[in-house]
Amino acid sequence: MPPGSLALLILRVLHSSPLHGYAIAQRIHVLSKEVLAVEEGSLYPALQKMLLKGWVTAEWGISETNRKVRFYRLTPAGHKQLESELSDYDRVTQAIQTVLRTA
Amino acid sequence: MGEFFRRLRYLLNRRRFDEELESDMEFHREMAAREGRMNFGNTLRLREDAREAWGWTWIDRLGQDLHYAARILTRSPGFTVTAVLVLAIGIGINVTAFSLFNMLILKPLPVRDPDTIVRLQRRSPEMSSSEMPYPSVVFYREHAKTLSAVMATMGAPPMGLESDTQPVRNIFVTSNYFAELGVPAAFGRLLDPVREEAPDAPPVVVLSYGFWQRRFGSDSSIIGKTIHLNKKPATVIGVTSYSFAGLDGQNSDIWLPLMQQPYFVENSNTLTNTTTGGETRMWGRLAHGVTAKMAEQELLSLTNELRKQYPKLIWDKEFIKSDPGGHSLVMQPEMYPVFTMVGTLTLLILAVACANLGGLMLARGVTREHEIGIRVAIGASKKRIFRQLFTESLLLALLGLIAGLAMCYATLRAGMALMEAPAWMSAAPDWRVLVFTIGVTLVATLFFGLIPALQITRQRQRKMIARQVLVGAQITASCVLLIAAGLLVRAVQHILHSDPGFGYEQSLAINPGLDHHGYTPAAARTYLDELKSRLRAIPGVTSVSLSRLPVLGHGWVSRISTEIDGHPINIYPNWVDPAFFQTMDIPLIRGRNLLPGEANAVIVSESLARKQWPAQDPIGKLLWNNQTSKDTVVGVAGNARLNAMNDTDAAEAYWAAQPADMAGMTVIVKTAGAPEGLIPMLKSTTENLDPKLFPDIWLLKSGFRQNTWDLERIMMTASLMGIVAMLLAVVGIVGLIAYAVSQRTKELAIRIALGARRIQVLSTVLRQFLLPVVFGLMAGIGIAAGLSKTLRKALYGISNLDPLSYAGAIAMLVAIIGLAALLPLRRALHLNLAKTLHYE
Repeated sequence: MPPGSLALLILRVLHSSPLHGYAIAQRIHVLSKEVLAVEEGSLYPALQKMLLKGWVTAEWGISETNRKVRFYRLTPAGHKQLESELSDYDRVTQAIQTVLRTA
Repeated sequence: MGEFFRRLRYLLNRRRFDEELESDMEFHREMAAREGRMNFGNTLRLREDAREAWGWTWIDRLGQDLHYAARILTRSPGFTVTAVLVLAIGIGINVTAFSLFNMLILKPLPVRDPDTIVRLQRRSPEMSSSEMPYPSVVFYREHAKTLSAVMATMGAPPMGLESDTQPVRNIFVTSNYFAELGVPAAFGRLLDPVREEAPDAPPVVVLSYGFWQRRFGSDSSIIGKTIHLNKKPATVIGVTSYSFAGLDGQNSDIWLPLMQQPYFVENSNTLTNTTTGGETRMWGRLAHGVTAKMAEQELLSLTNELRKQYPKLIWDKEFIKSDPGGHSLVMQPEMYPVFTMVGTLTLLILAVACANLGGLMLARGVTREHEIGIRVAIGASKKRIFRQLFTESLLLALLGLIAGLAMCYATLRAGMALMEAPAWMSAAPDWRVLVFTIGVTLVATLFFGLIPALQITRQRQRKMIARQVLVGAQITASCVLLIAAGLLVRAVQHILHSDPGFGYEQSLAINPGLDHHGYTPAAARTYLDELKSRLRAIPGVTSVSLSRLPVLGHGWVSRISTEIDGHPINIYPNWVDPAFFQTMDIPLIRGRNLLPGEANAVIVSESLARKQWPAQDPIGKLLWNNQTSKDTVVGVAGNARLNAMNDTDAAEAYWAAQPADMAGMTVIVKTAGAPEGLIPMLKSTTENLDPKLFPDIWLLKSGFRQNTWDLERIMMTASLMGIVAMLLAVVGIVGLIAYAVSQRTKELAIRIALGARRIQVLSTVLRQFLLPVVFGLMAGIGIAAGLSKTLRKALYGISNLDPLSYAGAIAMLVAIIGLAALLPLRRALHLNLAKTLHYE
C-alpha cells in the first residue's frame, strides 16, 4: 500500500458511518476484494494520528458482539480532509495514467 | 481546539487514553481470533507504536532515565556529593562574577524608562572630562530638541549638620531630578521642578532613607522642620524611598537643589563660572523616537554654537559623548581589560571543574562496564545508553546549578553587606542571571558529560587518550590560575611590606575648601598664612606645609602619562611649599629645596631621574626634552608613592605652588605624638578664622589604610581563587589516578602475584600521566605568561614573569599531584591479591 493512502482509505470508509477499529480493517479488506489487509501495527498508529489532527473523534458504543468499544466518526475537518485528499489522489492518478498511456 | 492542545490533552490524560487504546486493540484481537486469524505480535510493543503518534514518548523515556539516574546517583553518594560540589564551585563562581557584572552594568535602574536616560560627557580627540560648567548645561537644556529633559548633578564636600562631628555626604541635583526619574517619596515630597527652580525659593533639603533612619531615628515628624547644614537653616521637605537608586550609583545622605548651591556654599560662583572646567555632571532623557546618535549630532552643533559664546571654554573638536545612563555604572573603555581578565579566570575555574568531573565520569564508566554490558546484551540501543548517561550528567548539572545559585546568592549577600550596597540592589537572581546560569550549566554539561558518555557508549572508556587530554587540560588551567593568584598575592605583599617613601602615621590634612567659597588667590594666601602660623602655635604640631593635591584624601589625582625611550611612565605632579618634604618625611637626596613661589624649577623623584637621565646628574637639566620647557631640575627627592600605591610606572615631580593656586591648597600638619586628639583643635582653629568654612579634615594613616584595604581585598580574592583551583586539582587528580589503578587492578594483581615488586608495578601505572602533566604545566606557564600582560598594571614592583610566583605555583601543583597520586596508590599497595584474582 503506498504511504499516506491508509489515511485516505480510513477516511473513506468512515465517510458513510462511524465504525470501530476492527470494522475499519474489515471493511477495507472486504471492499478491496481481500487484496488489502490492514494490520493492527499500522491501523492504530494511523488512527491515533488522525485523532490528534482532529479528523476523527472516538466515542463509546456497543459492538455487534455486545462489547463496549470505541467507534470512530469523521469530524467536519475530516470530511474536508477526505475531499481534498480525494481530489489530490484523482489528480495524481490521472497524471500517472496520462504518463503511462502516452509515454 | 488546535492540534497542539489536543496533543497536550493526550499528555495530561495519558493513562485514560492508553486504556482506551488497549481496549480497542484487545477487541481487535478478539474479533480476529473469532475469525480464526491469530496474531502473535507483542501487544505492548504495538501499543507503544500507536502511542508514538501522540509525540510524548520522549517524556516517558526522560522520566525513566531521570528515575534511573536518580537511583544510580543515590547509590554512590560519595561520587554524587563530590561531583555536585565541584560543579557548584565552577558554576557558582561564574554566576557570581556575572551577577556582579549584571548588577552594575546590565540591570536597568529602578527608575522611569531607564533606557532613554543618557550620560553626557565632554570629549575631544585629546581631552575628556566627566564634568562641565553649569552654564553649558543650561545652554544645552535650553536648545537641545532631541532631549526631552536635561538633569545635572554636582558633588560637594561633606557638610556639617547641626553640631555633629560626623560630616554628612551631600549632592546637589537639578530640581527636575526626582520627577524625571519618576520616583516617589517615602514621606513628604521630593524636589519640585517648578517650586525649587525659582531663584527666591526657600532653602530645602531631601533626606535619604538610610540617613533619615540613622540620624533621625525614623522620625517622620522631621518633615517640615528646620535643620542647619553648614549652619545655614533649611527645611526638610521629604525622605527618598527605601529603594531609591540615584544615577551612576550616586549615594548620598542628603539631596539639595542645585539652584540653591550658592546659599549653602557661601560666595561660590560655580553656577555662573565659565572659566574653569566646571563641576556639574550632565544627564539627558532622549525625546520620544530619538536615538543616542541623533542626540549626539544635535549636541555637536550646539557645542559649536557654544564655542562662539565661550571660545576659551570649548576645546578643539569637542563633542558630547552619550552613554546609556540608566545603569548603576556607566561602562567606560578602561574597564574592558578588567572584565576580560575576571571573565577569563572564572571561566578557567569552570574549565578545571569540567575536566575534573569528566575524568570522574570516565572512571565511573569503567566500574559500570558490567551494568552497561548487560543492558546492551538485552537489547538497549547505543542511542538509548548514550541518552541515559547524558541524562545522568544533566541531573548532576541540575544539582550543581541549584547549589551554585545558592552559593552565588550567599556570596553576594555577604559582599553587599560588607560594601554597604544601596538598598535597591538585590542579590536575588533576575532573568539575565538565570539565563546565564542555565547557559553556563548546559555548556559545562556538554564538556564534562558529552565526551565520557560517548566514550562509555562506545565502550572505549579504557582508551588512554581522552584521559590524558583531561589530565593535561586540568593541569593547564590549574597552573594558569595558581600563577595568576601567586602574582597578585606577591604584588600586594610587595606593596604592603615595602616602604611607601613617606611618613603618614603622625600626619593630618585639612582641606579648608577656600575655592568652594569664592576666595581670591590673594585672600586665600592671607588666610593660609594666618592659619599656618596659628597651627604652628598648637602644642604637639611639629611642622605645617601646603600641598595642592589632597594627599590620601577625597578628591582628585593628577597624572601625566608619557613615554621615555618607549617605556611608559606616569608622572604624578604636585604643587607644594618648601616645608612639604620635611612634613611628609620625604628625603631630599640631591640638590636643593624649592624656594617659596619659585617658577621654572622642579624637584623630581629618584625613579624619574633614573629613567630620564640614566647615569647622569639630573641637576640643572630641563625636565622635558622640548622647546617650550623651562623647568630646570633643582633637586632629587626620594620615591614617594603618595598617589598611586600600585602603579608600577609611577614617578613624581614637584613644583613650587604659585600664588594663583592658593585657593585650592590643602594644609598638612605633622604632629609629635598621636594625631587623633588634635582633630577638634584643628577644626576650631580653621573655622575661627572664617566661620563660613567647613573644612574636611582627615588622618593620613586612615587614607593609607583605605588604599591598602583595597589591595588586601584583591589579595584575598586572588588567594581564594588559587585555593579553589588547588582543591579542584586535588579532587580531579585523585579521581583520575584512582580510576587508572582500578582499571588495571587485575593486571597489577597478577604481576604482583608473579613476583614483581609493588612499587615498580605501580610506577608503570603512573608513567602514563607523566606526559600530560609535563605538557599541562608547560602550556599553563605559556598561557599565564601571555595572559599576565593584562595584569601588569595591577602588579606593583613585580614583573609579570616573576620567577618566584611561577616556581611557587609549579612546585605547589607538583606537590599536590604527588599527594593526590599517593592516596589511590596506598589502596593499590594493600591490594588483597587472592580476592582480586578470584573475582569473576
